[in-house]
Amino acid sequence: MLSNMKIGSRLLLGFGMVALLLVCVGALAIQKIVAVQERQQTFYEHPFTVSRTIEVVHTCISEINRNTKDALLAENARDREIALAQAEENNRKAHENLVLVRERFLGDKQIIDEIAKDLDTWEKRRERTGKLLRDNEKVKAVVWHREQSKGIIAKIENEINDISQFAMKKAAALNQESFEIKDQTVRFTYALLTVAVLLAIVIALYITRSITKPLATAVEVANKLAVGDISSEISETSQDETGQLLRSMERMLQQFRNMSELARQIAVGNLSVAIVPQSEKDVMGNALSAMANNLREMTREIIEGINVLTSSSSEIMASTNQVATGASETAAAVSETSSTMTEVRQTAQVSSQKARNVSDAAQNTVQVAQAGRRAVDESIAGMGRIQGQVAAIADSIVRLSEQSQTIGEIIATVNDLAEQSNLLAVNAAIEAARAGEQGKGFAVVAQEVKSLAEQSKEATSQVRTILNDIQKATNAAVLATEQGNRAVEEGVRQSQEAGEAIRQMGESIDESAQSALMISASSQQQLVGIDQVSLAMENIRQASEQNVTGMRQVELTVQGLHDLGQKLKGLVERYKI
Amino acid sequence: MPSGNDEQQRILRARAAALARVPEESGAEGDRIEIVEFSLASERYAIESAYIGAVHPLKELTPLPCTPSFVLGVINLRGQILSIIDLREFFDLPERGVSGLSKVIVLRSDSMEFGLLADAVIEARWIPRSTLRPALPTLTDVREEYLLGVTQERLVVLDGGRILSDRGFVVHEEV
Repeated sequence: MLSNMKIGSRLLLGFGMVALLLVCVGALAIQKIVAVQERQQTFYEHPFTVSRTIEVVHTCISEINRNTKDALLAENARDREIALAQAEENNRKAHENLVLVRERFLGDKQIIDEIAKDLDTWEKRRERTGKLLRDNEKVKAVVWHREQSKGIIAKIENEINDISQFAMKKAAALNQESFEIKDQTVRFTYALLTVAVLLAIVIALYITRSITKPLATAVEVANKLAVGDISSEISETSQDETGQLLRSMERMLQQFRNMSELARQIAVGNLSVAIVPQSEKDVMGNALSAMANNLREMTREIIEGINVLTSSSSEIMASTNQVATGASETAAAVSETSSTMTEVRQTAQVSSQKARNVSDAAQNTVQVAQAGRRAVDESIAGMGRIQGQVAAIADSIVRLSEQSQTIGEIIATVNDLAEQSNLLAVNAAIEAARAGEQGKGFAVVAQEVKSLAEQSKEATSQVRTILNDIQKATNAAVLATEQGNRAVEEGVRQSQEAGEAIRQMGESIDESAQSALMISASSQQQLVGIDQVSLAMENIRQASEQNVTGMRQVELTVQGLHDLGQKLKGLVERYKI
Repeated sequence: MPSGNDEQQRILRARAAALARVPEESGAEGDRIEIVEFSLASERYAIESAYIGAVHPLKELTPLPCTPSFVLGVINLRGQILSIIDLREFFDLPERGVSGLSKVIVLRSDSMEFGLLADAVIEARWIPRSTLRPALPTLTDVREEYLLGVTQERLVVLDGGRILSDRGFVVHEEV
C-alpha cells in the first residue's frame, strides 16, 4: 500500500509520524514542568512563608520580652511608657503575622490559635506589670514579670518551634515530590526521543530506497540509451512518480525502437515506409519523415539524372569521336598554317627592309624640306627688299613727276616771255614803221627780236613736247611701279604661301618620316611577332597532336563514364520508391 | 651719236635756208604796207600797222555794265583807260571767252582810240599792196565793210581807218 503512494505523500507521512512523536514528548515535558512549578508554588506559599513569618513572630516575642524588661528597668516614666508602647506595638505585629501564618499553615491550625491565646494571656500579664510599674511598685512588678512571663514565653517558643519543624518537613516533602516528577519526565522523554529517532531512520531509509531504486533503473536505461542500446526492458511499474518516469522511458524506448526499425528499413533501401510523427514537436519523427521524403525525391532525381547521364555519355561518346576526327583535321591544318607562317615571315623580313629604306629616305627628305624652307625664307626676305626698292623707285618717279611739273611751269614762263618778246617785236616794228626811214635799223632789230621770240617759242614747244613725253613716260613708270609694287606684294604673299606650304610640307614630311620610322619599328616588331607566331604555331601543332592523343584518352574516359552510368543505374534500381 | 648729229645737221640746214631766203622787199617801196597779223577764233586777220598804237597782253579786264555785248570792258594801260571791243560779235565767230593769253591791239587815230581783242598777235610784216585782192563774196556784210583786202595766203586784212571811224562803236546809252 505504501509503495503505491506518491513520493510527496510518503514523505509527508514519515515526517508527520516523527513530528507527532516530538509533539508528544513536548506535551509531556510541558505537563511535567507545570507540575514541578505547582510544587514550587506550594513550597513558596506555604512552608516557606510560614517558616519566614513564624520567625518574625518569634522575633516580635523576643522584642516584647526585651521591651518589657526595658520598662522594668526604666528610670523614669517616660522611658517606661515608650518601652511599654513598643511592647504593645510588637504584640500587635505578632498578631498580624500570626494571622498570615494561620492562613498559610497546612498542618493543624489549633496550634496557632494556641499561640494567639498565649499571647493574649501574656498581654494581660504585662498589663499588670505595667500597672504595677505605674504604681511605682517596681519590685512587685519585677517579681510579677519573673513569675508570670517566663513560662508563657517558653510555651510560645515551643509552639513556634513545632510550627517551624512542621514547615520544614512539609518543604522536604515537596522537594522530594518535585524530584520524582523530574526523574519520571526525563525517563519518559528519553524513551520517546529514542523511539522518534528510530522511527525517523526507518522511514528515511524506506523512502530513500523507494526513490533510488527506480531512479537507478532509469539511469541504467538512459545510459544504455545514450550509447544507442535500446534493448532494455522495464517490467516493474509502481503508481508513483518514478513509476511514471519508468513508464515514460518505456514509451520512449518503444518510440526509439519504432524509429530504429524505420531507419533500418530506409537503410536497406525501402523508401516506401510510411513514417507518422508522434506529434508536431516530434523532431526526430519529422526529420525521419522529411529524410525519407527527401531521399525518395533525391533518389528519383538521381535515377532521372542517371538516365540523363547514360544517354548523355552515349552522345558524348559519339561527339568525342567527331571531335577526335576534327582534332586530326586541325593538326593537319595547323601544319599547313605553320608552313604558310614561314612564308609570311620571309615576306615580313623584306617588308621590314623596305620600311627601313623608306625611313632613311624620309629623313633625307626632311633635310631637303628644311633647306627648301630656308630658301623660301630667303626668297621672302629678298621680296621684301625688292618691295623696298620698288617703293624707292616710286618715290623717285613721283619726285621726277613733280620736277617735270616744275619744268612745265618754267616752260610756261619762258613761253610767256617769248610771247611778250613777240609782242615787243611787233610793237618795235610798229614803232619802227612810224619812225619811217630812221626806224629802219630798229625794224631789223625788231625782226631779230621776233625771230628770237619765235625760236624761243619753238624751243619751248619742243621742250614741252619732250616734257610731255617725259610726263607720259613718268606716268607709265608710276603705273609700272604701282603694278611692280602690287606684283612684289603678290610675290611676297605667294612666297609666304609657298613658305607656309613648304613648312606644312616639311611638317607632313616630318610626320611621314616619323611614320616611316614607326612603320620600320612596327615592321621590325611585326617580324619579331611573326617569329613568335611561328613559334606559337609550332606549339599549337604540338598541342593539336597532344589534343588528338588526349581525345583518344577522352574516348576511353567517356567509355568508362558510360559504364559508370550503367552501374549507377543498377545501383539505384535497388531502391524501392 | 649719229642721230644727234643728224638732228643738228637738219637744224643747221634749216637755219641756213632761212638766212639764204631773199627778202621780199625787193619790190617798189611805195607799194608796201606793214600789217600786224593776229588770230581771232581760229581765223587769221591782219590790220595795217599805221592805225595801231601798240599791242599789249590783256590784263585786268574790268567788265562794264550797261554796255553792248561787243564791249568787253575796260583796262588800265599805263594810267590810260582803254575800252576793249570784241570783233567776234560782228564777224559772227564762235566765242571762246577771254584767256590769260589774249592780247589787245590798240587802234589809235586822232579822234578815236580803243583796243581790239585778239587771241594771239602773230607778227608784224610788210606786204606789197598789190597782193591784196578784193573781198571774197563769202564774207558777210560787216566784214566786207571793214575789209581792206585778202592776201594770197587768204589772210583777211582789215581796214583800221574804217573801224576807227565807225560810229557804231561809240556807245551812248543811258540806263
